Amino acid sequence: MKAAALPVASARSVQHYRAPSRLGRVARGALLAIAAILFLAYILAPMAWLVSSSFQSEHEIVSKPPHWLPHEPTLENFAAIFAAPDQSVTYETRRATDPASGGFIPSTAKNLLPAIGNSMIVASAVVLLNLLVGVPAAYAMAKIRFRGRQVSIYGILATRVIPDIALVVPFFLFIRNLGLLDNLWSLIITYLAITIPFSVFILISYFESLPDDLDKAARVDGCSRWQTLTKVYLPLSLPSVVAVVLFSFLSSWNEFLLALMFTQTPKSQTLPIVVASFTSDFTISFSFINAAGVLAIIPPVVLALLFERYIVSGLTAGAVKG
Amino acid sequence: MSAIARSARPPRTGLGASYDERSAFVLILPLAGVLLAVAVFPILYSFYVSLFSLKLTRPQRVPFVWFDNYAAVFADPQFWDAVQRTVAFSVIAVVAISVLALLVALLLNEDFPGRRVLSAVLLIPWAIPYVANALMWKWIYDSNYGALNGLLYQLDFINSYMVWLGDADKTLPLIANAFVWKEVPLATILLLVGLKTIPSDLYAAAKVDGANIVQRLFHVTLPALAPSFALVIVYETMMAIRHFDLFFILTEGGPGNASDVVAWRVYVETFRNLSFGTGAAMSYILALTTLALSYIVLRTLARRI
Repeated sequence: MKAAALPVASARSVQHYRAPSRLGRVARGALLAIAAILFLAYILAPMAWLVSSSFQSEHEIVSKPPHWLPHEPTLENFAAIFAAPDQSVTYETRRATDPASGGFIPSTAKNLLPAIGNSMIVASAVVLLNLLVGVPAAYAMAKIRFRGRQVSIYGILATRVIPDIALVVPFFLFIRNLGLLDNLWSLIITYLAITIPFSVFILISYFESLPDDLDKAARVDGCSRWQTLTKVYLPLSLPSVVAVVLFSFLSSWNEFLLALMFTQTPKSQTLPIVVASFTSDFTISFSFINAAGVLAIIPPVVLALLFERYIVSGLTAGAVKG
Repeated sequence: MSAIARSARPPRTGLGASYDERSAFVLILPLAGVLLAVAVFPILYSFYVSLFSLKLTRPQRVPFVWFDNYAAVFADPQFWDAVQRTVAFSVIAVVAISVLALLVALLLNEDFPGRRVLSAVLLIPWAIPYVANALMWKWIYDSNYGALNGLLYQLDFINSYMVWLGDADKTLPLIANAFVWKEVPLATILLLVGLKTIPSDLYAAAKVDGANIVQRLFHVTLPALAPSFALVIVYETMMAIRHFDLFFILTEGGPGNASDVVAWRVYVETFRNLSFGTGAAMSYILALTTLALSYIVLRTLARRI
């Protein structure tokens, strides 16, 4: 008997027909449990080590073998970051509990909070612009039949695959000629360009999945195109809008290469740039750098855990239609 | 009445554009402006720059040199060494990503308590910045106090602490490992989509025919996953050959030239040697290489819209 010939609903009953033995079920459970534990260890162990060492003192972090959990957990690394703007750290004021490995705080620590602020400003502006520019365009491409529609979609997707490393030279000259070097606008403009193709892609796929009849009904009721978009489609597309917000925020928060080129002083440096500058300074203890790293990953981790569904549906946008 | 009149097919205007076409034009205009100014123009300008000998160390004289920059890049043995390293890095990374992502996708495709927690955790590496990822692995690989040495030493796999990133033979695989950790989630999600589309009656039929779990994997799952695998391999190859962040933070192309890949070469040529012409030529070569690959991705994505 061929299962394919059965009605779809009875496919499950075929599985039950050959219900696995008790031993088989136990073996499956054990295998899944082992796989799940290995998976969790692979993902979480490196991060746990990062977090654990951010709570260790500069003295403890150089233990051999390493202390997997801090024996004397301390908040001094985080305190240093948040206290840094008020106190200027000099050789005299650094805490010299142990001259060789005391709680040394680098003078650049005070750049971290402004960098977080810069990252927030840039990411929020990019999110806003993505929605303002992306939503109308995506609606037009999904719901209005016009000449050149297919070409436009291909064009947008094509800009998405240009490697950022290939854009470094023109971007740099372009931004320099505009006089925007070391200015947050240089980041906002370029991040908008690298995030918008994907945002539009997600939105188009979502708008396409909404029935065209809505469009016709709204138009019959006298809505203009703009009203149809804002009053009918937008409220229905919240999941895709959330996905766009998440993707453009995370891309901007995480971006490194362009920020490395355009920013030169703490005035415009974003969090990744300041954190990266710590890693190349051999005088800075990893306990402190790791605390900065933990601050950099908190927003993305929180967003990923809270909005997992939206992110996954965005990443697989349109895939269900095959 | 006016509403009904408007809903009817709008009359064509003198320019030959209907109301629909005009509104589409207005709605798309901002996007077109942004993309033309900040994506299309730069990539064309990049080609233009690549035809000049533009060195910021000599800003007064910028002669037009036709394709000399490209010739210079192709004649440079350092470039070909960098190409080799890029290929080696990409092969290691993409093979590891594909295998791990398949295993994780098979796990997450099963139904078991806690699956949703694992799916959420899976997204964490994808979400965090590459800089944080690089910092994390730099500290793990640290030759004096790192976790890798500590763990291997405590488990008695090594007798004394070893040099990791500083060892030219180990650098590329270790950087690839950091890259893989960050890229596996996206690859897994793409494969999971493929797994979900396999009709369950295929498995039922295979079971009825007496196929065991390994046979089902090789004769049902993997063939059905081929398109998703193609997408993962092409996409991750594109990501690997252009990758820059890890090379910058972990090794800066070192030790010696051991991790001097093409993306790193572009950066050095442009921002350390201040030779924008050759930098642009090199980045154009990189862009054209990914273009061939991206065509395949584009076709897949465009088909879905």
